[in-house]
Amino acid sequence: MLEYLTSLNDHNLPYPDTIHPIVVHFVIAMVVFGFFCDVVGYFTGKASLFEVGWWNMLVATIAIFVAIIFGQFEAGLAQPYSVAKSVLNLHTLIGWSLSGIITAITAWRYVIRSRNPQKVPIYYLGAGLILTLIVGVQVYLGDELVWVYGLHTVPVVEALKDGLLR
Amino acid sequence: MNSELIDQLTGSLGANGLPYTIPIHPNLVHLTIGLFIIAMTFDIVGVLFPFQKWVFKFLGITVERDNFFDVGWYNMVAASIITFFTVTAGFYEMLLATPPADMKSAWGLQAMETMLWHGVGGVFLLALIVGMTIWRGWQRFVWAKQEYKQTDREVQWLYLFAGIAIMLIMYVHGTLGAQLAAEFGVHNTADNLLRSGQDLNTSLK
Repeated sequence: MLEYLTSLNDHNLPYPDTIHPIVVHFVIAMVVFGFFCDVVGYFTGKASLFEVGWWNMLVATIAIFVAIIFGQFEAGLAQPYSVAKSVLNLHTLIGWSLSGIITAITAWRYVIRSRNPQKVPIYYLGAGLILTLIVGVQVYLGDELVWVYGLHTVPVVEALKDGLLR
Repeated sequence: MNSELIDQLTGSLGANGLPYTIPIHPNLVHLTIGLFIIAMTFDIVGVLFPFQKWVFKFLGITVERDNFFDVGWYNMVAASIITFFTVTAGFYEMLLATPPADMKSAWGLQAMETMLWHGVGGVFLLALIVGMTIWRGWQRFVWAKQEYKQTDREVQWLYLFAGIAIMLIMYVHGTLGAQLAAEFGVHNTADNLLRSGQDLNTSLK
């Protein structure tokens, strides 16, 4: 059992597949859809959409901390070769920053909702737009790490193990 | 797909076998899975609400049961709409896939078997998600409003169990997709460059 946990597979992981890209589903989807619901709610005046916006943001706030824990763990095992390093560093920096930004926005939303759940100020939508854009940049960087640099993919891990890549 | 057929497009395709650097399907997948699972989660929380009222009271979050059912409904509608695009992008990118023929995945499947299961499974899941959305809409607008219903519960137990079963199918299905990406290296720039014997630190600069 202990050996299973400490030995690494052909993805350089102690478990079958990367978990971070799964957890981020619940940050990306919830931030994007929460913002969408707030915008539609603002223009249609449908208060139930504000509820959907708030609850999705609450889920995103919890999920981003789980995403960071797995992200940090898997980044530690990623063995980024020289051209991938700067992308991973930037992804890490924005990731930690996002945990603060999302938490602050959700806290703000909690206050707005406590005072009047039927209304959302336009400034909040502005913050939501900026947040959605930062998430977009972060997703792009994460995509680059997987799809361009191939971190934790079998061929790249193999090349790193054989010393063909460093 | 037959490499001679794909060659008809060469010139417009990059090192990853696509006319763009980042595959689109895996990004839409975030939305499909995130929205579906959170929709089901909120319906489960809504149905079990009488047991967890104290948690929200403790956290200082004012809430009515209907709030959870709103999230369950709207997230499911969004999952349905977005999944048409997820499946479309998936088929486009799968038709351009050229995985290696000489290897097997961690589940002992070759690339073609993995792609066929993932392709057929994708259409099957789309049908299930759309079916769940119609069922959910019927519960929200017909079933929940019928006279014989004595509670303010908006969804049926069977719907929750069906949702959990679909999540299990999604897990298997998603793992097949992950294997196409991280084992077969489909549309992965680094993996394709390595297979053609290039040094990543110079060619990806």
